[in-house]
Amino acid sequence: MSLWRQLTYGLRSLLRRSARDRDVADEVEHYFEEASAAGMARGLSRDEAKRDARLEAGSIAAAREQARSYGWENAALALIADLRFAARQLFKHRAFTVAATLTLALGIGANTAIFTVIESVLLAPLPYRNADQIAVLNTRYSNMGLTIPRVTGPDAIDVRDESKRLEAVSLYGGGHLGVQLRGHSAYAVVTLTDADFSRVFQVKPIAGRWFRSDEEQRAAVVREAFARDNFGSPQAALGQTVHVEGDAFEITGVLPDWFDFPAHTQVWEAARFNAASTNRTAFNFRAVARLRPDLTLRAAQTELNEISRRLAIAYPRANRDKLIILEPLQQALTGDIRPTLLLLWATAGLILLIACVNVTHLELVRSLERQREIAIRKALGSSQWQVMRPLILESLLVSILGGAAGVLLAFPTVHVLVAMAPKELPHAGSIHLNGWVLLFTAGLGVLTALASSMLPALKAARVDAAEALKRDTSRGMSGHGAATLRDGLVIAEVTATFVLAMGAGLLLHTMTNLLARNMGYDARQLLVVDADAPAHSTQDALNAVRQFNELFASLAALPGVEHVAGIMGLPTGNYGSNGNYKIEGAPPPSPGHQPSANFSVASPGYFQTMGIPIQRGRDFDSEDTYQNPFVAVISQSLAKQSFGSSNPIGKQIQCGLDSDKWMTVVGVVGDVRQDSPAEAPGPTLYMPMAQHPFYANQINIVLRTHVKPLTLLNPVQKIIRDTNPAIALRFTTMDTMLDQSMAAQRFRAVLISCFAAIGLLLAVLGVYGTMAYSVTQRTFEIGIRMAFGADRSTILRTVLEHAAKLALWGIAAGMVLSLMLARLVTSMLVGVRPMDPVSLASAASLLLLTALAAALAPGWKATHVDPMAALRTE
Amino acid sequence: MDHPNTDVIQGTLDMLILKTVSLEPMHGFGIARRVEHISRGVFRVNPGSLLTALQRLERAGWLNSEWRQTENSRRARFYTLTRAGKKQLATEKTDWARRASAIARLLSAEG
Repeated sequence: MSLWRQLTYGLRSLLRRSARDRDVADEVEHYFEEASAAGMARGLSRDEAKRDARLEAGSIAAAREQARSYGWENAALALIADLRFAARQLFKHRAFTVAATLTLALGIGANTAIFTVIESVLLAPLPYRNADQIAVLNTRYSNMGLTIPRVTGPDAIDVRDESKRLEAVSLYGGGHLGVQLRGHSAYAVVTLTDADFSRVFQVKPIAGRWFRSDEEQRAAVVREAFARDNFGSPQAALGQTVHVEGDAFEITGVLPDWFDFPAHTQVWEAARFNAASTNRTAFNFRAVARLRPDLTLRAAQTELNEISRRLAIAYPRANRDKLIILEPLQQALTGDIRPTLLLLWATAGLILLIACVNVTHLELVRSLERQREIAIRKALGSSQWQVMRPLILESLLVSILGGAAGVLLAFPTVHVLVAMAPKELPHAGSIHLNGWVLLFTAGLGVLTALASSMLPALKAARVDAAEALKRDTSRGMSGHGAATLRDGLVIAEVTATFVLAMGAGLLLHTMTNLLARNMGYDARQLLVVDADAPAHSTQDALNAVRQFNELFASLAALPGVEHVAGIMGLPTGNYGSNGNYKIEGAPPPSPGHQPSANFSVASPGYFQTMGIPIQRGRDFDSEDTYQNPFVAVISQSLAKQSFGSSNPIGKQIQCGLDSDKWMTVVGVVGDVRQDSPAEAPGPTLYMPMAQHPFYANQINIVLRTHVKPLTLLNPVQKIIRDTNPAIALRFTTMDTMLDQSMAAQRFRAVLISCFAAIGLLLAVLGVYGTMAYSVTQRTFEIGIRMAFGADRSTILRTVLEHAAKLALWGIAAGMVLSLMLARLVTSMLVGVRPMDPVSLASAASLLLLTALAAALAPGWKATHVDPMAALRTE
Repeated sequence: MDHPNTDVIQGTLDMLILKTVSLEPMHGFGIARRVEHISRGVFRVNPGSLLTALQRLERAGWLNSEWRQTENSRRARFYTLTRAGKKQLATEKTDWARRASAIARLLSAEG
């Protein structure tokens, strides 16, 4: 009730200011009239009565003022008046306002954009019910400190069957597979999983239901968009058949589009895992689990440790030192991108710091200019707070402007960020500005306002009115403290910028290292076709291989094509395998130290097509068939790793890819970097497609061309379609694939470089501002010097030396800071040490040159001071 | 010349106003004069403080006000006690009585 009255009465008096004033005035006047009337009633004359009333009750004006100043609305009015004053001041000093606003917009914009990504990726909870109860199963070899984000089938099944603290465990795997619908074939992301998957995620299909465990290899669930695109509507998709790799699955349910696990899955097919494999060293699957309600991860882990121990006793060869480890799903999803995002956040923080320093500097200059105004205010009795208030309000207005501009800037920046992001960035589609981000930005704005106005406001509060009024800044007699403070700000700015430039230098150096790396093959002019031919039986697979061989021949006949080959395990490609191998006659290795290699299955001519040199022996040929003795080609590293300096040709080698047959080594080829240029060249074991048909129906066809690779897309597609329309196809080039394998590094390098550039720009503004200001301040002094015969070069040198001194201090501090921060980025560097002298030297010289360049214009102006004019200026 | 202190005791102005208005609706000067008369000149209220206090009490919901003609046909703002004001007055009275008697006891205490 009373609060309501406070509010309404206050508002009424705010809106009808004059009515309220009149009211109060009338009431006061009436009071005095009554008072004098009372006096007259006592027999005084009119004038005497009036005087008496005044004597008694004080002046009418004082009473009116006192009555009028009651109420919260008066404080609000004072604030509005101050804000209007601040706004007018900002409007009058447009150069300052624009500079400060743009500076803050850059700082706040960068932070808002990065925070948008961080909020949606790292902070926002996953969209699943009780998502914090979902965890991923990893395998850790405690003796080697190695964690594999996968599990073996038998281990996962044992965990599923024995654990009482996990409510459900679901295995899954898959990837891009050929999907056939009504005779036409396309690639889709297919996840092979089980009935427990829906118990882990507890997601409700928008149509139909999740498949049951008795529907293994018969049923599938598809995504809403997939259902719409292919069947018209989710309802229409139910009961329809979809072929994956030639196997038929009946669609039993449709999941909503927002459900995106594993990322980009369009078809979840009911797979059979129970009998899939008894191999406890083949990490073929991933697994997710849901904890029982109210159980912590730690409690569930304790139980898994116990189960792991039991498995180690039961299977000492495969499971010694092996632990199944739970990792929260969110952490597992964001683990790869987290360091990058945090690095970006830190960088954006530095930018904001530089922006704040710049604005502080600008405000400091402004407040020095208004020292007289402040002095007069103080002389008239303003309190410290009253003097500081306009400064802080002005700063607040500038941050509001800067924040608004920053948010506008953040919209396109977020789009660019998401578009550039490497594929490790999860749920990129759902990244957008929301309330939390705006709240963060608002907080940031207030913080910057306070931070950048703190120094000027405190200085204003300490202004001694008498001193300030005596001093005349235009005569070069400003206090020494102010100059030191400004110099300190510039040094801080250079320091922060140096750290940014250093980071950018390191990441760019990493990037150039990667681009210049010899991959072990020639990536130019290579067309890559993902081809997936459905096969069920050995005979099917052998037919597919024969068909592929015919295809290679007809593709090679196309004009513009030099060589054609097929490969399972193309560098940077989707397919590939790896594992342990054995050499005949070699002493048995200790467990956990078996030699391992990448496994690739290739057609004859692959090495020639890729430009991988054959160093010894021969390539595969048409005689290496399924019926003939098995052969293998090994890479240089494998030869060195297992045969040392002896000749490996003719030796026997065995691996568990698909058969236990011993293979005769017939050739040695050069090493390649398998997954990305960041990786060291490693051992690879190549096997012929014809002898491993089950790994030969899902391959990459590589075409070495002497025309632009993508111009051959249509003829290549036509030839393959004519041969077998069931083969699903995707086209790309080796260059593109290589490029994508460096997406994370490029993302970091480009962004940090952009930030460093923004930092540099702000630092230039900072140095320029300080120099220009100090030259203006010292015009009088320079005039005197010149009048006494100082020549222009001396004057210019003084200015430049000053700038250089500041820059060098900043660079020195920056080096120390970089040294301290270096270990944070070590893991992101390739072929560069954190204290890389080249990056160090380039960052240092860049900043020094920039500082000098920024000081040049003010220095030039200083040399053109007219002594007579300077001495006369007031 | 030595003026006796006529300031209203700190914190009691609200109670005095509420009490005075509880007798009958009154305008500002009327309240001041009534306080002075009844206290036989011990308390005098200055108009600035009085009018500020009246605004405060009105916004607190203890008084209502309206412009009316006085008996000598001038326009004046008359204040009336609300139900909430009546309650408030009762509370303040009890409170005051408790404190005043405590002070009286303290002052009359003999060693």
